[in-house]
Order: sequence, then structure tokens, then C-alpha cells
Amino acid sequence: MNIEKAFKSDLHLKIIRFFHENQASIDTPRGVATWVGEDRSKVKKALEDLVLLNLLVAHRTTSTTGYSYTREAKLIRKVSALLGKMPS
Amino acid sequence: MDKTGNYAYQKELFERLRKSVSLKRAEECFGFIMKSASWWIIEKNCLKPGEADNLLLQHYPQIKKLGPKKWADCAKHLLEAIKKSAETKKLFNFKCNDEMQGFVYPIVQGDRICGYIGANYLTKDISSEALQIFPAFADTIVKEVRKELELSKLYETLRPRAIALSTVHTVHRLISSTLDISELLPRIARLSLQIMRAQRCSIKLVDSKRKVLLPKATIDLRAKKIRLKKVKVGMWAPGKAVKFGRPVRGRDFMATPLIDEDVIGVITIYDKIDGKPFTAFDQEIMSTLAEQAVIAIKNAQLYKEQEKLTMGTIKALAKVLDTRAPGAYIPRASFIKIAQLIGQNLRMDAESLKSLEYASILHDAGEIFVPESVLAKPTKLTGEEYAMVKGHPAAGVGIIKHMKALKSAAPIILYHHENYDGTGYPKGLKKDQIPLGARIMAVVSAFEAMIISKPYRSAKSIDEAVEEIRRNTGTQFDPKVVDAFLKIMKKRDLRLLLEKELEE
Repeated sequence: MNIEKAFKSDLHLKIIRFFHENQASIDTPRGVATWVGEDRSKVKKALEDLVLLNLLVAHRTTSTTGYSYTREAKLIRKVSALLGKMPS
Repeated sequence: MDKTGNYAYQKELFERLRKSVSLKRAEECFGFIMKSASWWIIEKNCLKPGEADNLLLQHYPQIKKLGPKKWADCAKHLLEAIKKSAETKKLFNFKCNDEMQGFVYPIVQGDRICGYIGANYLTKDISSEALQIFPAFADTIVKEVRKELELSKLYETLRPRAIALSTVHTVHRLISSTLDISELLPRIARLSLQIMRAQRCSIKLVDSKRKVLLPKATIDLRAKKIRLKKVKVGMWAPGKAVKFGRPVRGRDFMATPLIDEDVIGVITIYDKIDGKPFTAFDQEIMSTLAEQAVIAIKNAQLYKEQEKLTMGTIKALAKVLDTRAPGAYIPRASFIKIAQLIGQNLRMDAESLKSLEYASILHDAGEIFVPESVLAKPTKLTGEEYAMVKGHPAAGVGIIKHMKALKSAAPIILYHHENYDGTGYPKGLKKDQIPLGARIMAVVSAFEAMIISKPYRSAKSIDEAVEEIRRNTGTQFDPKVVDAFLKIMKKRDLRLLLEKELEE
């Protein structure tokens, strides 16, 4: 999967939009599932896809994993541009 | 709310009213009854001199055809109607021209009028029933739109706070999941950077004399090399935050004290990624994070203290045992290390590794109950003597069973003489029935017994002992453990440590 392809998936797009709009957020799959209103197991998989794309950072511990938005300015600019082209 | 806030609210209210589906439906419904040609809604603030002309022109462009006089008359009547409806706060009808009429109804917010809703050029007479019904309709629609607006405002206010709260909760879970302070502090620093979207974070803890802040974890996204600097209490932002026990915030830095009963340290973050200044909201979030962090740090410090205490107790116990057979029970770092490396190689978790460490020191503690003459006997043991030897793992567990911190080491001590093929003691367990820690300890203790010389037995060389372990794989020892052991024994530094300790 690449970033452009992630933007074509509704779920991935919702998650990207959530983290782009709330860049200071760190949340568990359960939390993100609540914010985007989607199924937790699907969200968990999508979060890992976005980690592989470096769009999210995974903070892993033995009990849970927290996900947060990338700090790479270049990637954030790219997401801004792609979101700008999407209908809100 | 200030004037600007009110004005912004009113603007948004009218914006929503204009787009309201309910209002459109009402217009259609009343338009059908009254044959209205032109409906309008206007804010009071927009009603300036000459605005009535525009209002008419905008909502009824055909007015131009009526000529300037009729246009002016209509505008005059409209303004009069607006004035009267403002005075009475009621619906007021007016004449547009000889055939057509209109009405104005004020939109009231609290005790003041904020705008008007009206219709021009109704081709039918306005019936008194319609005049009575319309205000109720209009009020309901305005109320509905106002509720929608308030809900959306509430959502806009609450959602970021709920997300921030959820973030704090997640951070709490992430930092509470470790008791290892060397892992905890960098984790807190990384999470602080993430939340604040900043470039650098430094965590300093107050030294025992409370004069200096010692750098414990620093993460800088820009620098490859990081200089760790001590800071005097009272100096710079971190020192001031500690001295005064409150956050110190500048445009590009924010120092938040870690306060337990006293200030124990400070988290300082620098330079936001987007170059913006740190805000009061950032300070609020960092203070909450610091509260969580201080609990986790105190827990980790207490755990470390307790661990030191436990290890001290174990070493003291080993020393007591050693008085009977000097050199036999003093823990050798090399054997503890071999056991740890095998455990790591077999992916044991931190807690299991700790139990293995304790067991590495105390696995033969129960031998204290076996007479020296039996332990040192060079010839075959009698049945009674062998029974005594077989009892030493259980006796070892008996020694540690009252120490809660060592409870997890008990199965390792109890079963470290079990053989992989089920021929060992005390229970004759085989394969996976034997706890992994005990299978590791079986290899390490056998290796230790072979290479340490005793008064009654000469020692084997390291290579001979390694070969003996290899020979017994699958029978006495777990093949997986032996594989890990053989891999580890190739490490040069471990060999050197082993040789050095054997010489001593």
C-alpha cells in the first residue's frame, strides 16, 4: 500500500484525517475506533498499514500500543495537499 | 460573551437560518397559502439606511419595473413595518403597493431583536389564521436552528478536550506499563515530544542534595549528538520551574515540574515543529502529563529500591550459605550472565529473567541441609544419602518461600534437577512439563558443577564441559536450551569473564 492508495480507502482516509486534524493525539486502536466511528479490529489493521507508510508512529508496550501522527514535515505537507483535493 | 462573540454567534445563527431546510419548507408551505413571491431574512446589524431598497431589490428584482416612486413607497412601508414589529416584538404586515402586501416578524434572542424574517409581495390577502400560525412556525424553526448551533458549538469545544483526555489516558497506560526507569524516562520524553509537537525534550531529576538537576533523558529530533548538561536549581527555565514548583513558559520552551510530595524533577520541551509559541492549553496538557509521569517515575524508583533490597537479601543469604563451603555459593557473575543470555535468546520476558537471576544465585541453597560428608563423598551414595541429595531442591524452596519477592524463582529452584527425558528428580517431569527457567538452570548448574573444582573432585575444562552438555542434549537437557547455550558460549567476552572468575 502507498499513501495515494490509503487515501482511496474510506477507513484509512478517516484515520489519516483524524490524526491530521488532531496532530497532538496519541490513542489506542479502541480510542481511534471511537473517534472515527468504525470497527476496532478493522481500525487496528488500518493503523498498522499507516505505520508501515510512516504516516503514524506506533508506541508499543507489552499491554497496549499507542498510535500518533508522523512528525515528518514533508509527509504532513503531502497529506495536507492530498486532503485539500478531497471532498470534506 | 463579549460583543464580538455575540456578533459572531449571530452571524452564524443567520447563516444557518438561511440554509435551514425547515425554513425552506415553511416558506413553501406559507408561500402556497399566501402566494408569496419573495421571502427574506435579515440581521438587525445589516439593516442600515438604504438597506430596505436593497432588500427589496434583492428579493424582488421586478420592483424596478414599478418605477422609482412605487419602489420608494414600498421601501418606506417596509421600514415602518420593521420599526413597528421591533417595538411590539410581533408580526406586522404592510402594504407593498395597491394590490400586494407583506409582513415582518422579528427574531428575538433573549430580550433583544437580532433580525427579521419577512415576505414581500404576497398576492393574496394575509388571513388572520396565517398571521397567527406563522410566528409559532418561525419561533420553532429559530429555536431548532439555535439548538443545532449550540450543539455544534458544544461539539467543537468538547471534542478536542475529549481527544486530549483520551491522549492523556493513553499516555498513562503507555508509561505505566514499565517499571524500568531507564526505559521509562526516554518513553516519557518521546511521548511529550509527540503531544507537544516539539523538537526537543529533556527530563532532569533533582539530585539527593537538592542543588542540581541531573539530566536523565534527552531526545532531540534535530541533533545527532546530544550534550547532557547539569543545571543548578534556580537557574534557567528548568531550574526555575523546580525552585518555584510551577511551570515556566516562554515562546519556544516550557518547563513543567514533576511534583510528588516535593519537586522530584522537571520535563522541559523546546521548539514546536511548526514554529508556533507554546500556549496556556499546552501548559495545561503538559501539567497533566507531568502528574501521570511523576507517579510512574516514583513507582519505578520504588521498584528499583525494592529490587536492590531483594538482591541484597539474596546475596546475604548466599554469603551465609558460603560460610559452610567457602566458594561454593558466592554468586559468580559469569554463570548469572550465561543464564540471562540463554533466557534472552529464548525470548523470556523481563519478569521471568528476574526470577531466573534470583534462582541462579539460590538454586542450591537447599544443600545446606545435606551433610558435607554426603556432598563430598567420592564413592557411590547409599539410598538414604541419595534421598537427602534429592531433597535439596525442595529444601531450597523452603528457605525462600517466606520471601514474596522470590516466590517466582521457586519453580526454577524446585525443578532444576529434572531431566528432559523424565529421569531427574524430585518429580520425574519431562520436556515442557519442566518450567523453562528450570530447564535453563539445569544446563547452567551442570556446567558450573563441571568446571568448578571441589576438594573431592577435579574440574573439567570449559571446552570439555561444553562438550558434555552437548552430549546430553535431548536426554538430560532441553535441545533448545542447549542450542542457545552453545551459541552463547562462542562469545569471547563471556569466555574471558568465565576464565577470570575461575582463576579467582
